[in-house]
Amino acid sequence: MGELITYAENTWCPGCGNFGILKAFQEAVRRLEAEGIGREKLFISSGIGCHGKIADYLKLNGFYSIHGRSMATMEGAKIANPDLKVIAFVGDGDAMGEGIAHMIFAAKRNIDITVIMHDNRVYGLTTGQFTPTSVLGYKGPSTPKGSIEEPLNPLTMMLEAGATFVARGYSAKTDHLADIIAQAIMHDGFSFVDVLQPCVIFFNMYEHYNEVVTPLESVPADRDEAVRLARLEDRLPIGVFYKAEKPEYCRSLYGDWNPVAQRMPLEERRAAVTRLVTP
Amino acid sequence: METKIFTYLVGGKAGEGVKKAGSVAAHLFSGMGRRVFQMDDYQSLIRGGHNFSVVSTAVGDVTSHYEKADLVVALDKRSYQMHKGHVKENGILVYNSNAVRGEAEGIGIPLTKTARRYPNPGMRIGVGAVAVLAAAVGLSKDELKELIEREYRRDLENNVPYAFDVYDLAYPEVGGRFKLEHGDKPRAILSGNQAIALGAAAGGLDAYFAYPMTPASSILHYFAAHADDLKVAVVHPENEIAVINMAIGAASVGARAMLGSSGGGLALMQEAFSMAGMAEVPLVCVLSSRPGPSTGVPTYTDQGDLYFALYQGHGEFPRFVASPGTIEEAFYLTAELLDLVWRFQTPAILVTEKHLSESSMTVEIEPDKARRPDPLMHSGGEYKRYLETEDGISPLLFPPSGQFIRWNSYEHDEAGITTEVPEQIVRMRDKRNRKYETMVEYMRSQHTVNVFGDGGPVIYTYGSTVMSVLEALRAGDIRATVVQPIYLEPFPLWEIERYGDGIVVELSSTGVFARYLREKAGINAKAVIRRYDGRPFDPVELAEQIKEAM
Repeated sequence: MGELITYAENTWCPGCGNFGILKAFQEAVRRLEAEGIGREKLFISSGIGCHGKIADYLKLNGFYSIHGRSMATMEGAKIANPDLKVIAFVGDGDAMGEGIAHMIFAAKRNIDITVIMHDNRVYGLTTGQFTPTSVLGYKGPSTPKGSIEEPLNPLTMMLEAGATFVARGYSAKTDHLADIIAQAIMHDGFSFVDVLQPCVIFFNMYEHYNEVVTPLESVPADRDEAVRLARLEDRLPIGVFYKAEKPEYCRSLYGDWNPVAQRMPLEERRAAVTRLVTP
Repeated sequence: METKIFTYLVGGKAGEGVKKAGSVAAHLFSGMGRRVFQMDDYQSLIRGGHNFSVVSTAVGDVTSHYEKADLVVALDKRSYQMHKGHVKENGILVYNSNAVRGEAEGIGIPLTKTARRYPNPGMRIGVGAVAVLAAAVGLSKDELKELIEREYRRDLENNVPYAFDVYDLAYPEVGGRFKLEHGDKPRAILSGNQAIALGAAAGGLDAYFAYPMTPASSILHYFAAHADDLKVAVVHPENEIAVINMAIGAASVGARAMLGSSGGGLALMQEAFSMAGMAEVPLVCVLSSRPGPSTGVPTYTDQGDLYFALYQGHGEFPRFVASPGTIEEAFYLTAELLDLVWRFQTPAILVTEKHLSESSMTVEIEPDKARRPDPLMHSGGEYKRYLETEDGISPLLFPPSGQFIRWNSYEHDEAGITTEVPEQIVRMRDKRNRKYETMVEYMRSQHTVNVFGDGGPVIYTYGSTVMSVLEALRAGDIRATVVQPIYLEPFPLWEIERYGDGIVVELSSTGVFARYLREKAGINAKAVIRRYDGRPFDPVELAEQIKEAM
């Protein structure tokens, strides 16, 4: 098997939780290959922020998009070629601040893309401001007296929006995370993976997460139970919270068809246009 | 009485079938082999208010509606008051006598009372307006029946007898007052937005993305209605930002993608438009303008977005900006832009206006003449998305592929990996600039400017205003040379500069097109004829203004 890493210099801080996500993702790719899903079928994207650098490091086809939009970029790619396995790496500020509409609507339409959220609860690359998932009272350069806003809960939000695969992983438990990511990519429908990812510089949560992170023993029985577990704070469950079957967006939109691989022949298209421009 | 141009105007409340009546009239005329131009004036509301549709027809060319009509049918009081002054000499004004009471000029017909014999009278009186027209142009009852059956299709058991009732009331007053000559052959009638959609389809479009915004929405509706027969993926996502980012993602895996909106929507798309420039993504964006700034006047027309179209996005990158002068040109130009964006891997804007988007006219279109993209594809060896080439164009490759394909919004190296190295930054910016030079060189061999007429003063105009100017020259019997840049960026200076100073006609309040001509070509406007009340020019009035400027 060839190298999954490019020649780009890795500039994440030593100890950054992103390394765990990068490692887990490579492991997930290997597991997918073992299942017969070749890496040439993968198409990845990222937004902007520390998480985004993963697009430079992974030697996989894809698009290094702009802040908050990698989900929309990947929805477009999926709509154009539904045979691709499409993965959007996003940050918590990136996806739940700048791009929250795309996240909610991608879940709502149950389009078969996988969103992996590097959730460090802080804007790292712009030097430590509070994000939509930062805790109340978080002190950063834009909130010197402490954040006055309650955080959003990404899991309950995604469960409510209609995601059909919702999971949480921890960047320090790479094997567990790799398994979740592989499952998410294999899932037929919108998959969301929230990854607890400590930022060693601005919001180091390693000690706390190591104490409270608890793997789920099984997938909760229903969505209500998933929501209840997702709300827990004293212990943080990780694993698959919810998995359901629902019609997938692209198939509902145009059936069993691939717009780029099964393009209508020129003659047929022109005949169709001719019919519409004939009096 | 025989008239060269015959104009029919029908006005009423939204919901009364005014636009439909205009469209039925247009199809009646085109069925007679005549040419037709239909302009719909409507407000930003669903029921009530005041809407009107004007249809001008001739055996020869007609590229605009005329404000003054031969036959005006006013379905309500407001239309009567507004349009009683729009009747040509020897013209006829017919009004709904149940809506206009007391002494009134013209011929009163109880359209509403007659409609009450049938269900949904309020929705039906547009059919009455068609019956009045049928009587006035001397159609027989059989011909009227055939017209109603062909054009309305629904509720014929009520529509046909209602049309007959009105015809019987109108015939003694207006019967056969206008004799319309037959023309050579029936032609299709398309709106500008239909032509844009069909041109894109003929040009190989795979996916269309849009969020509703007047006056671009009907492109989305047309594609959605024909998604199955044209085989195009049609998506209406959560907002305009999703629209452009999805379109970019679709293009990155090989789909010929297009989007459409108006100024406000394109404003939201700016950041991603820049990404298309940086990442070298082929993408056609339709910008159908209305008067701005901001929400402005949503259902009316304007050309004040010229500089907005030219300078979309932040940062330096090449782009095409082109504007069709007629509905036929909109068809071919949309396909051509699809070809160009794939040839040069950069975004394009098709800038147009409500007046082209939502007006309809008879057209003759040959889909085989639409251009189709044939992009430069990778042909072997190690793939680099941003391979440095002499002409700045890097070959394309799409997944699935065993190669590494990386599109990037950051500045990047040849393989698409992010860079901050000064020499690499310069090399990539130079590559994109070389691509622009290649574009300019290529466009020198292309048809970038239309010139109509010969001799007389030079008139510069572009976009839908071209149609108004051409009709004004016919209406006023004026000899002039009309110069229309189809392409605004790259600006075809090599074609334009030879024409020198001239009169400029545009729909803007500050004369942005005149400013652009001065800036790009050193052309000075001898006069700038502007209109900026949201309405397109009336050819008769415009002819007077042109004569004054000469």
